[in-house]
Amino acid sequence: MDQEAAETARESLELVFRMSNILETGLDRHTLSVLIALCDLGLNPEALAAVVKELRQESGTNHGSLR
Amino acid sequence: MEDDDQQKAADLVQELVLRLLSQNPQTPNPDPNSPAFLKTLRYAFRILSSRLTPSVAPDATAIAESLKRRLATQGKSSDALAFADLYTKFASKTGPGSVNNKWALVYLLKIVSDDRKSAVNGLDSSVLLPNLGLGDAASSLGNGFLRGGEAKKKDWSNGVLLVSKDPENLRDIAFREYATLVKEENEVTEEVLVRDVLYASQGIDGKYVKFNSEIDGYAVLDYVKVPRATRIMVRMLSELGWLFRKVKTFISESMDRFPAEEVGTVGQAFCAALQDELSDYYKLLAVLEAQAMNPIPLVSESASSSNYLSLRRLSVWFAEPMVKMRLMAVLVDKCKILRGGAMAGAIHLHAQHGDPLVHEFMMNLLRCVCSPLFEMVRSWVLEGELEDTFGEFFIVGQPVKVDLLWREGYKLHPGMLPSFISPSLAQKILRTGKSINFLRVCCDDHGWADAASEAAAASGTTTRRGGLGYGETDALEHLVTEAAKRIDKHLLDVLYKRYKFKEHCLAIKRYLLLGQGDFVQYLMDIVGPKLSEPANNISSFELAGFLEAAIRASNAQYDDRDMLDRLRVKMMPHGSGDRGWDVFSLEYEARVPLDTVFTESVLSKYLRVFNFLWKLKRVEHALIGIWKTMKPNCITSNSFVKLQTSVKLQLLSALRRCQVLWNEMNHFVTNFQYYIMFEVLEVSWSNFSKEMEAAKDLDDLLAAHEKYLNAIVGKSLLGEQSQTIRKSLFVLFELILRFRSHADRLYEGIYELQIRTKESGRERNKTQESSSWISEGRKAITQRAGEFLQSMSQDMDSIAKEYTSSLDGFLSLLPLQQSVDLKFLFFRLDFTEFYSRLHSKGKES
Repeated sequence: MDQEAAETARESLELVFRMSNILETGLDRHTLSVLIALCDLGLNPEALAAVVKELRQESGTNHGSLR
Repeated sequence: MEDDDQQKAADLVQELVLRLLSQNPQTPNPDPNSPAFLKTLRYAFRILSSRLTPSVAPDATAIAESLKRRLATQGKSSDALAFADLYTKFASKTGPGSVNNKWALVYLLKIVSDDRKSAVNGLDSSVLLPNLGLGDAASSLGNGFLRGGEAKKKDWSNGVLLVSKDPENLRDIAFREYATLVKEENEVTEEVLVRDVLYASQGIDGKYVKFNSEIDGYAVLDYVKVPRATRIMVRMLSELGWLFRKVKTFISESMDRFPAEEVGTVGQAFCAALQDELSDYYKLLAVLEAQAMNPIPLVSESASSSNYLSLRRLSVWFAEPMVKMRLMAVLVDKCKILRGGAMAGAIHLHAQHGDPLVHEFMMNLLRCVCSPLFEMVRSWVLEGELEDTFGEFFIVGQPVKVDLLWREGYKLHPGMLPSFISPSLAQKILRTGKSINFLRVCCDDHGWADAASEAAAASGTTTRRGGLGYGETDALEHLVTEAAKRIDKHLLDVLYKRYKFKEHCLAIKRYLLLGQGDFVQYLMDIVGPKLSEPANNISSFELAGFLEAAIRASNAQYDDRDMLDRLRVKMMPHGSGDRGWDVFSLEYEARVPLDTVFTESVLSKYLRVFNFLWKLKRVEHALIGIWKTMKPNCITSNSFVKLQTSVKLQLLSALRRCQVLWNEMNHFVTNFQYYIMFEVLEVSWSNFSKEMEAAKDLDDLLAAHEKYLNAIVGKSLLGEQSQTIRKSLFVLFELILRFRSHADRLYEGIYELQIRTKESGRERNKTQESSSWISEGRKAITQRAGEFLQSMSQDMDSIAKEYTSSLDGFLSLLPLQQSVDLKFLFFRLDFTEFYSRLHSKGKES
């Protein structure tokens, strides 16, 4: 059973990864798996997306601009 | 969330932040314990905790669909296909190990992808298209309000920085300022409003758009900050919801009421038709809701597209349903109190519309609404069944006696007559069904069913149900005409052949209108003496015996037994002074179904005519009787040779006077009778026969008969307007009868005289010796005769005088009558202009 579940999970992750690639989200497998887990926990996807966006923007901007 | 989950989520978030930061080229290996990292982590938590519920409805398929479409419109069709394929696979994964919250994930991917794209396109998109403020705000909702304040600050500072570099940026600043303003005003995004409006148009309160009973309509809540324009727009759009509520309420109310109260089949049909329209409307709403998620397909990739439905687009979508819904609401208002045919008529009035959309819509509606009505017409016309449990049909049946079935059994109900059925057609429909019922109830005939099916076949519709519909008024008319033609023909056939209508009419004419001369003559002969007795002494059984005898003695015996059986003697109610003449009459018994034609009022008219004719006949009979006694008068005059000259002269003058008067009376009565028999009865009868042949239905026949009878009554001076002339005529009749009794007495006296003189002559021959006594007797006889003759001639004179004046009165009244035929009568009576000359002479003197 565990084996099977793991298999399904892997396949799902793969599918999601490929979809994400098509959509050019630029997320890697690891990040995706974390996001999947968070979604399954019932977090608001909008908020999650916001986090992803914000933290990526961090790349260009100063931390100091955040309160 | 439970504690475990919370902990797990916290860990995961930390992990996520770590991953994301590690991808950052600036912070390749973030230290999980550095204050910068912790700050970022806190920031992430704040974002996450700020919004716990998503702003869109969870529908993975819809999101996937919209993503696929976007890919397709961007020209990456292979990607689109691949994505769709992947999504199907992904969606089919279930069970342990699979992703539970699929929609959230897909949605997440979408937003991330959107964000990234806008990031790639750079600031440009927001600068290039700043006027898409509202749409931008909507699409960047993912970034949330949270950032609103900061973004403003940032943009502002950026803008200021840029000003020094580039004066062109002044415009940008203005735009940006505007965008911020718009953002500030828009507490609620358009997407949400669109969703709420969609809810409202189904009569459901949304989050921000709710029913406001004060303004009686849906509106954005007062405390929600939206621009005035949007507020008005929403208000306009949600009119649909208000209308919908109205229609819906009507339907559910009617349906609730149905078993208990009388909504009627037409009302039900109306509700069903409305329900159909509403289900179409639901379909439209479902499609719109599904489309609401999808972005607008754009030609250029560069422009960021907002969601498919905006309030403006919605207003375009709603234009058509709005028209329909408005119409429905109007109809609902109109029809609240109406039922049945009236309801159909009211709806029909609205169908006369130039707009093809409205017209078609109304046609559809009417087709449904009218179907029960047309069904009723069909079964009424073809089967004579009044299937109208709710009183909706324009024909109402009343329980009546069989003989009144035709005249009063069924009536048109003008209130229930829809305006698309013309009154003449309605009349036809009424008559056809009535004919069937008449055949069934009164004539006990079943041949009409064949006629009905034949009619249905001829008109191209079948006898089955639901063959007719609204808008096929021509077909309906055709069917009705065919059915009416056949059924009426069948009815007349039955009346003529089976019930021998014509023969009965003829029998009535022969016996009641004294057409059968020998019979009447004989009846008069045998019944006459009896009728002179007081009415109390006469038994109707005796008279019935006389009638039977008269029938047997005349040619009437060869008539149909059935008809003779119907002929009865009738004694009218009489007072103490009445003679038999006043109360005797004949009547003809009309049985079902002929009593529809020969109703009581008709028979009473016949009775009046009979009484009149009987009186006339009696007068004629009396005159003939006098003639009989008058005939041998040359012999009598011979036998009076022995009388004294003075007495003889007196006698001769009395006789002559009598003859002249008789002649005058005879002239009048003969001509009058000729007029009645030939100018009135026969002419009317021949007209009636012609009309009877031409009659197409029972109504025609009834009218023809009515006309016939009225013509007789009118021309026989029995009408209302000829009362005075009738009175003078009766005075004349009275005088003639008086003349008869006087003449009888005169001749009786003469006979007596004759006998006495003969006796005295014989005695004189036998006993010559007592001549003195005889001469004494002769003297007495002569004297008595003289006295008698004198009184008689005096009476005669007075009768003659009265007669002349009455006749003069009668003749002067005659030209005043309206009927042309009476002018001919006058002409006949005054052929030699004797009376008119007399009249003018009388005037001169």
